[in-house]
Amino acid sequence: MSIFVKEGLKAVVSGITGRIGSVQARWMLDYGTDLVAGVTPGRGGEEICGLPVYDDVYEAVEKHGANAAVLFVSALFLRDAVLEAVDAGVELIVAITEHVPVHDVLKMKRQAEIAGAWLIGPNTPGIISPGIGKLGIMPGNLFKPGRIGIISRSGTLSYEIAGVLNEAGFGQSTMVGMGGDPVVGTSMAKILSEFEADEHTDAVVVIGEIGGSAEEEAASYVREMTKPVVAYLAGRTAPTGRRMGHAGAITGKGGFGTVESKAAAFKSAGTPVAGRPSEVPGLLQALTGK
Amino acid sequence: MKLQEYQGKQLFREYGIPVPEGKVAATAQEAAGAVKVLGGSAAVKAQVPVGGRGKAGLIKLVDSEAEAGTVAGSLLGAHHEGFTVMKLLVEEKMEIDMELFLSLVVDGRGKIVMLFSPSGGMEIETVAELEPEKMFSLEIDPCALPPLYRLRPFLRQGGLRGKILNELANVAFKLLKMFFDKDLLVAEINPLAVLSDGRVVAGDAKVEMDDNALYRQQWQETQEFDNPLEMEARNIGVTYYRLEGDIGIIASGAGLAMCTMDLLAEAGHNPANFLETGGGITEELMYRAVKLVCSHEKVRGLLVNLYGGVNPIEKGAAGIVRAINEMSPRPPLVVKALGNKQEECWRVLEEGGIPVVSSVRTEVAARRLVELMDGN
Repeated sequence: MSIFVKEGLKAVVSGITGRIGSVQARWMLDYGTDLVAGVTPGRGGEEICGLPVYDDVYEAVEKHGANAAVLFVSALFLRDAVLEAVDAGVELIVAITEHVPVHDVLKMKRQAEIAGAWLIGPNTPGIISPGIGKLGIMPGNLFKPGRIGIISRSGTLSYEIAGVLNEAGFGQSTMVGMGGDPVVGTSMAKILSEFEADEHTDAVVVIGEIGGSAEEEAASYVREMTKPVVAYLAGRTAPTGRRMGHAGAITGKGGFGTVESKAAAFKSAGTPVAGRPSEVPGLLQALTGK
Repeated sequence: MKLQEYQGKQLFREYGIPVPEGKVAATAQEAAGAVKVLGGSAAVKAQVPVGGRGKAGLIKLVDSEAEAGTVAGSLLGAHHEGFTVMKLLVEEKMEIDMELFLSLVVDGRGKIVMLFSPSGGMEIETVAELEPEKMFSLEIDPCALPPLYRLRPFLRQGGLRGKILNELANVAFKLLKMFFDKDLLVAEINPLAVLSDGRVVAGDAKVEMDDNALYRQQWQETQEFDNPLEMEARNIGVTYYRLEGDIGIIASGAGLAMCTMDLLAEAGHNPANFLETGGGITEELMYRAVKLVCSHEKVRGLLVNLYGGVNPIEKGAAGIVRAINEMSPRPPLVVKALGNKQEECWRVLEEGGIPVVSSVRTEVAARRLVELMDGN
């Protein structure tokens, strides 16, 4: 088992009839994920990949006890799709969509907080628990089951680090793509606390990058953890003042949001920081003695 | 998208936030004409969407049309922080009694915060650092605009009362409305000037609109790029920044792109650019991206680093092959690609004569590329 994607998961695919949703639903099912239905307003009554399609999330919750949703909905409509899922009582909402307006994310995040629901993303590949299932688009062949948790702001770097972990014999319990935007649904620190409480995770790898203060906040929480944490930070050579793709990745003048400031925060919390992805397994070995 | 001062003030006007009398000028003649209308003396302000104009000498006071013409001539075409001055804002000179600071911002923690200080002006950063007791902050619920009456006690902390406090609260309320309506990330008025005739007027406007919300704001994109490559990147639909090294980079994610840049630096080479494709790879996009990256005159090699989750890397491979086939001589190039349909992707590249790296380690691809470049 694992965090988020575990036994008892009953997930809905919002936007299942779309070009991306339909393909990814198939791949999630092939991977063994417990999907129970799809939702696309206006397409209720259809069937995709053997799953019944409904016009709204409420019916999927009512008919199938859906408790999670993964959303492949265009940025233009994502906010209401998430608010609907929150309102319908869905506990875990994974928003894959990129280019979502910040004000929409702020509203989605606030409503999820009030309802006590987990919002992961947006702009994320999703969540995978190798061998159990995935709510997202990450290629299943890049991950292997094991006991290392991963939290990442970058989807592509989570694949790279899973790759080197696999080579070193460190499989993954769960990888959570928290999203690359400046505002995301759930903080790094909160996800760390889930891993701390997870009996199937021995250690955690945090993948961060320039911009914002997620890593600094996470480093603060790490001091309270019993499980070892290793970090990798991207963007050491990125020029200041330019938004590096991820709207969140920008460093300001005066050293705000730089790799140096984040690395310093982690180091003072006792978390070693890898200089490159391939150094992560060695640091884990040193900490876990495996 | 960072708005220029005159654009921010246009929005202020729309929302009823008082701004100085002013006119936009694109030539020295227009500037002189604007000064005439303003009564013969004015402030001539270079329009670029970055700060530090005052300290860079890009804001000048003039006392005649002739002086305006000369000043305008020297400001237009000047370069500041990567932008070229294309327009000027010619504004009435103001008799300022007090400079306040008022701003709304989405901060690093993902919260909307209103900031106010009675000690506004050019040294606000020093105030924030050395006199934090003079900076007041109020967290704003993203789901509900606070009522006007909540703003008065907040702003009163700055020591103002009576008519000025009331005007200030009205401006703050209007700024809030504008912040929400226009999908803003930053809306800063510094100085918010209290004039000797009692008016409260926005001396400057620093406004940043969320790029992800431009589609619904119907905002005319007027940002001038100094850089034609960055303009082309926007047309293709990728995020691209020109740098000055010799290895071009294309990555399917921002984190991967930054990691690639870091590892190239360790291999002794600097990147010629940052480029990430996001999730929208198509054959055409990759074709144009390769062409774009290689059109940078310093590029001597190209590293493509792809993961296929939602991205069809096999289609991207076809685009890379098409682009390279049109180049003579073919630049040294290595493609590292993994994920869904990876075998098909590798086959397309190999048939196109392009070296493939199937390792999970970006540094392996970097080393391979450097070997190819040295071999040349």
